[in-house]
Amino acid sequence: MTAPRSGSGLGAPPGSGTAPDAEEPAAPAGPVGTAVSRPARRPRRGLRGLGDLHAYLFIAPSLFGVLAFLLLPVLIVLVLSFFDWELLSDPTFVGLDNYRRMAGDGGVWRSMLVTVGYVLLCIPLQTVLAMVLALLLNRRLAGVRFYRALYVVPWMATPIVLGLTWKWIFDPRDGVVNNILDLFGVTGPAWLSDPTWALPAIALVNIWQYAGYNMLFFLAGLQGIPRELYDAAAVDGAAPVQRFFRVTLPLLNPTMFFVLVTNLIGAFQIFDTVFVMTDGGPSHRTEVINFKIYGTAFREFDFGYASALSMLLFVVILTVTLVQVRFFAKRTTYDLS
Amino acid sequence: MTMTETKTATGPLPGPPAGKAPRGRARRILLHAVLAAGAFVTVFPYLLVVLTAFKSRGQLNSTEPWLPGLPPTTANLTTLLASDFPRYLGNTLLMTVALTVGQLVFTTFAAYAFARLRFRGRDAMFGLYLATLMVPSAVTVIPLFLIMRELELINTWWGLLLPHLLGTPYGIFLMRQFFRGLPAGIEEAARIDGAGPLTVLVRILLPLCRPALGTLAIITVISSWNSFLWPLIITSGDDTKVITVALAGLKNGIGVDQNLIMAGGLIALLPMLLIFIFFQRYIVRSVVLTGLK
Repeated sequence: MTAPRSGSGLGAPPGSGTAPDAEEPAAPAGPVGTAVSRPARRPRRGLRGLGDLHAYLFIAPSLFGVLAFLLLPVLIVLVLSFFDWELLSDPTFVGLDNYRRMAGDGGVWRSMLVTVGYVLLCIPLQTVLAMVLALLLNRRLAGVRFYRALYVVPWMATPIVLGLTWKWIFDPRDGVVNNILDLFGVTGPAWLSDPTWALPAIALVNIWQYAGYNMLFFLAGLQGIPRELYDAAAVDGAAPVQRFFRVTLPLLNPTMFFVLVTNLIGAFQIFDTVFVMTDGGPSHRTEVINFKIYGTAFREFDFGYASALSMLLFVVILTVTLVQVRFFAKRTTYDLS
Repeated sequence: MTMTETKTATGPLPGPPAGKAPRGRARRILLHAVLAAGAFVTVFPYLLVVLTAFKSRGQLNSTEPWLPGLPPTTANLTTLLASDFPRYLGNTLLMTVALTVGQLVFTTFAAYAFARLRFRGRDAMFGLYLATLMVPSAVTVIPLFLIMRELELINTWWGLLLPHLLGTPYGIFLMRQFFRGLPAGIEEAARIDGAGPLTVLVRILLPLCRPALGTLAIITVISSWNSFLWPLIITSGDDTKVITVALAGLKNGIGVDQNLIMAGGLIALLPMLLIFIFFQRYIVRSVVLTGLK
């Protein structure tokens, strides 16, 4: 299962660690607090322990899940990256060989380039589009609620179905895009089998799918900005463009941070649409790193090397995320509450 | 379509002031044109799915993709329903229900404990959960597969469900935020009456949580229904095959026409579309829940 946004439900929203601790109700204590199902004869200290026990019981299932299916896997993938293992034989320890091989593997570098290319095609356009939509829809207008809802619809659509649909839309002969271009006397490229156009086409599909959803976040951010700030800016003679860059954008920093972090994490892991639309082709031009990992493990059964590639992706995502954390931490965040 | 401002438009929106009166009308018309164009692009692929799903093979070749085939035929849907497709649909449904119930139950318990109980090691443990938010799902796929292989759970329901059944850190984070937002004294009365943490959770807090739970449920339903990579890897037989994997397999099938694929796509999309239409406000609320409002 992928997380809500193609694997990007990850990423803690801003302020996650900084929010003041909630009032902590004391653990159920006191000799009177025992009526329901517990014997009243327990001494005080035992009750404190009982409060802890409740909490631990509540947390136990999810803690087991986190340990067994999130932390243990990270450990395994790290250890395996130092092994050579094709599943049928026993794993052999090879030290840093997988990483050495990776450094000299043109296919991996190409795949990273494709991934970064995809991210650069997708994220800026998608973010700007989401912001523009939010600005357009943040006003009184007949039907504005309808539009807001409609633009989010692609978000919940099954990426596999969308991939298949868009694959057909981009079909060189029968596809809608080239049919329309024909009307204008333009012969369109072969899109998904064209080395130049395949990646942008896939990026377009994902922009189409997620721009509307991200618009919701910007919209929520915009509605949190007090109107007086705009009035004050207008009094000071700020033009609309200035108002956007001097008032709106800085105040949207927390939203921007969240949107960028989650979408970048998701974009670096793009898989589904590539799988159904191009299968990594033509001539590896859409072979993003997650697809390469999948192929190395489940088509070539080279699990050691695939683990090393997973570590590479992990480090890249971690680095990109931390860079954003630092970048946004330097900027002032305004408390509007 | 009239461009006059209607009373029903929206609630009060603090935001950039709307256009001034004289230029207002022209701007509004332009705005509507842009929004309508965007709406068309948004809807078009869905339209294509619906139109194509009801075309015969002959109509597929003789009509433009964006025009309906007349008369529409249900042959594609009938063909699919007579194949193994309903079984895959049932598998997807079962997986979605199981994962959603698991997520709601275990996430609620954990989030409640983290938000409103005090116990030794709480902050350290929650820090651990937060850290796992940083682990991309792509990185855990290979080791999860190997764990399931070791447990001999490949191609089983347990293998398919287990990794996501016990609540996700993201869900726990969302619910914790919600629990923390509830007033501090809310449990007091119940606790004075001697209710334990479980009673407080079930009787007092859960009824207040319905909106948050609804949001979490929607997110989980959608991501489970649409999930692809994990089912693709962990299952191969028909017993556990889900609809996304089946559809991805169709594209390589020889002699499988676009109309049949689109009919399958329609069946896969329809439940999510209905959920969206009926529970739209929960989705919008998910944005608010992240604390970004």
